[in-house]
Amino acid sequence: MYNILISTYRNFVRNPVTNFINLIGLAISLALVIILSVYSFSELTTDNFHKNIDRLYLYGDFNNRMYMPAILKDQVDLNIPEVESSVRLAGSWEAPVFQVDDRDPITSDIVFADVDFFNLFSYQTAEGDLEDSLNELMSVVITKSLAEKLFGNDNALGKNVKMNNNKLLTVSAVIDEPKANSCLSFSAITSVNTRKIIQPNEDEYTNWGWNNFQLFILLKKGANPYETAKKMAELFPKNDYEQEDNSKLQLNPFNGLYFSQFALYGNDSAYLHGKDKMKMLILMMVALLVLIIALVNFINISTSQWLEKLKHIGVLKVIGARRSTIFLQLLAEAFLLFLMALLLAQILVNIVYPLVQNYTGIKFNPHILYTPYYFIISITATFLLSVVFSSIPIYRVSSSKAIDNLKKKIEPDRKKSIFRGVLVAAQFSIAIVLIAFTLLVQKQVDFGSSNLGFNQSNVVGINITPQLHSKKEVLMKLLEEKPGVDKISFTQYFPGKTNSHWVTNQTVDGVEKHYQFDTFNADVDFFDILGLQLVNGRLFSDKLTIDQHSILVNETFVCEHKIDNPIGTKLIVGMEGHQSEIIGVVKDFHYKAVSEPILPLLIRNEPNASICLVRLQTSNFALFHKTIQDIKTVAAELSPSFPVEITFLDQAVKNMYQSELQFRKTFSLFAICAIAICCLGILAMSLFACQIRVKEIGIRKVNGARISEILMLLNKDFVKWVAIAFVIATPIAWYAMNKWLQKFAYKTELSWWIFALAGLMALGIAMLTVSWQSWQAARRNPVEALRNE
Amino acid sequence: MIDLKNIYKYYDNKFQRTYVLKINNLTIKEGEFVTVMGPSGAGKSTLLNIIGMLDVPNEGEYFFMDQPAFQLKEKKKVEFHRNYVGFIFQAFHLIDEMTVAENIETPLIYKGVKSKERKAMVAEMLDRFNMVAKKDLFPSQLSGGQQQLVGIARAIVGKPKLLLADEPTGNLHSEQGKEIMKLLQKLNKEGITVIQVTHNEEFAAYGKRIVRLADGRIESDEIFSKINQPQLT
Repeated sequence: MYNILISTYRNFVRNPVTNFINLIGLAISLALVIILSVYSFSELTTDNFHKNIDRLYLYGDFNNRMYMPAILKDQVDLNIPEVESSVRLAGSWEAPVFQVDDRDPITSDIVFADVDFFNLFSYQTAEGDLEDSLNELMSVVITKSLAEKLFGNDNALGKNVKMNNNKLLTVSAVIDEPKANSCLSFSAITSVNTRKIIQPNEDEYTNWGWNNFQLFILLKKGANPYETAKKMAELFPKNDYEQEDNSKLQLNPFNGLYFSQFALYGNDSAYLHGKDKMKMLILMMVALLVLIIALVNFINISTSQWLEKLKHIGVLKVIGARRSTIFLQLLAEAFLLFLMALLLAQILVNIVYPLVQNYTGIKFNPHILYTPYYFIISITATFLLSVVFSSIPIYRVSSSKAIDNLKKKIEPDRKKSIFRGVLVAAQFSIAIVLIAFTLLVQKQVDFGSSNLGFNQSNVVGINITPQLHSKKEVLMKLLEEKPGVDKISFTQYFPGKTNSHWVTNQTVDGVEKHYQFDTFNADVDFFDILGLQLVNGRLFSDKLTIDQHSILVNETFVCEHKIDNPIGTKLIVGMEGHQSEIIGVVKDFHYKAVSEPILPLLIRNEPNASICLVRLQTSNFALFHKTIQDIKTVAAELSPSFPVEITFLDQAVKNMYQSELQFRKTFSLFAICAIAICCLGILAMSLFACQIRVKEIGIRKVNGARISEILMLLNKDFVKWVAIAFVIATPIAWYAMNKWLQKFAYKTELSWWIFALAGLMALGIAMLTVSWQSWQAARRNPVEALRNE
Repeated sequence: MIDLKNIYKYYDNKFQRTYVLKINNLTIKEGEFVTVMGPSGAGKSTLLNIIGMLDVPNEGEYFFMDQPAFQLKEKKKVEFHRNYVGFIFQAFHLIDEMTVAENIETPLIYKGVKSKERKAMVAEMLDRFNMVAKKDLFPSQLSGGQQQLVGIARAIVGKPKLLLADEPTGNLHSEQGKEIMKLLQKLNKEGITVIQVTHNEEFAAYGKRIVRLADGRIESDEIFSKINQPQLT
């Protein structure tokens, strides 16, 4: 054992550069693999900490209907014996603002649940008892992080929290945030009964027409979810509007909820979130590819080293070493190298993980890294990798004939160099695909944020807090006084904010038609600020009440609902059911992210607003910043109990592509690692190639070859393989890109330059790496090389 | 000790068979010091390799200590290398990553000698060749003559019966060469059978018997026992 350690060490020191390259490449890729496997593990075990997970279901139809009437729970509890317990969950449409005493108000989130919530879902209490925590009216359970935000280091239990400046809630318990990943997330939770008080809503709890809750079901052991779902569907009244859909309602296991693509919309459902499994799989695959690149390096470098070692092995055999002894020793050396790489990777993960998390949004709980399972699995995997990838070449080396080894000089073997070339081509194919993909994702994000059809620059949005709501006129007046402010508009639209989606049946011109559309309120200046173009008719008139019931629609609205003469068409719109007249048609613009199609849009001229858009003058940069400060102060003064947020419009647009941007960042990170490892690989190979061609280079130089010619000679091989890699990578990248773009309703084009640029980058980097080595080899004095005989 | 019968080694080309070795009969007794001579390509090294069981001929029989050597299994061959034979090479073939002491020790490890005993045996060797001060150096830090000394020490540390030396002085200048030859002669006196290959007539004369090869055949085989004796000091 000691001997093996010593010989591994000396081997390492003998070829420090190549061994270091080998080690670093492996370590980087292993670090990536560790981060991503732990991440995937944490994603895949989402919600496993709930004790009842196997019996928990969410009732609904993921494609169409996730919202249930409140009364359904009462009926289920009464009529269906298989159900052990049921819990309704609902979020809050507006984000609540919490305030403790006179401290700063904090915008947070809250969910409303039935009192059984903590029996269904397993949470750990930090303070107080969860058992009856929701029974009392106006009691609230908050998470530890919210408690820290609200109370600082003080004890939160039993204290009062003012919600939205008017309702007092009492903290009945504080829970720890779950250590593992969960698809449920909330900062505060209170009972449905409390909701009746703080958000009263007509006959919501007795009328089947309201669909505002998610219904979670805990089945009794052995109960059949299909049968139960059928029984539940029959509870709906026979004349229910969506009766025909009821057959599609199912009990969806909570266990797979995280990766099921459910159609939840609206800010009120933010507490329930899932993830695209595809994205995770893509990341895993890419991590695997990076690992392959590093393993290729390992194979290339170690085979070339083992060739050097042939003579050494010949000697050992002559003095009496068995084949198996040599085999085991080489294997042990390989394993040691892998083990070192693992150790290095571990250190790397510890250093790099916070950065990676910030940059790419890949999140997991780092405590997984310190569990014994993780330890055992990582070492076993490393062992297997080292055995699988080194035993064949080692076997061949160790069973070579001693006499051949002693006699033979190490000659560049044509077949082996082709094998290595193929491996290099494979490496570079992967790198090129990754680069091209990174470029494409960037291009799509740029496309998605710049071609929306409206002006984004120099516009900020102020959220209209309840306190600002009644002071809109004052706010407007104060803002108009500020020198840097150009135009002000009140609206309900802001990029990334969910719009209301209305569905109605209307009789127009004697024909009953089904209308569905997105809708928001806006005023006359809205169109000017966003630079929207009118196609037909006119815009709202200037702040006069004559347009109170006028509406504007977009082109898609006209098109989709087949209205021949839109101007003057009358529709009944809104809660109050006013007769409204279409006065104009605006050009289509992407009011949603480009991943979604443009839907029919109806813009009303009603006074309700949630956003105040302000266009700033741009002439003076210094003034620009002062103006923003001014706006903040003005708004904050008018809204002391509710925090005011000021967001740039273009920033909000970017935020819509958050997940794509993260994806691009993750990808670029991978691409950079892949390329770095590739470079390390060909650097080692060029070192080796130069070593064995030293004599050839010497002879050529003696015979009058110029340095440039030698450089050409040495680089030619690598360039050839990178070119081949380009040819292989292009169709693969093209296919993958098309697949990825399919999920966008509006997509950028696949330009040729993406591939060209990716190929050129790979080639350029490869050339630089190789040339560095070739240059040194080419410049060597040929006498030195030839003297070595 | 060594009995070679009708050893033929050849390469088949398309039209003709090229013989590398064509020996009908060669016997070497225990305690002999045989020098194999001949021009380049005469088959000297091949003969040595066959005797050392590193190579096999296409035809023929080889008895080593009355055992048919070609029938030996891989394991037995390893035993042979461990216990009966030591090799000395023109290019020394020391292991670059090992120190002098480790190089000498390696065959003992394979032989399964216990650590304490090994240390003693290595120390004895180092002592004998006056290399105690150099035991922790690496081969590249030694002169050619010293490297060959280490090579010889490694070859004989396992107390072999047979020492095969393939041009042991080929890479050395004549003074160093003489030293090595004297050493071989001394080892032979102590009872080890030595077979060496050399180009050098002067060094050939250190042996008791000269076998001359040409084109794979034995051209002459002469034994002269007395001439060189006085040179031994």
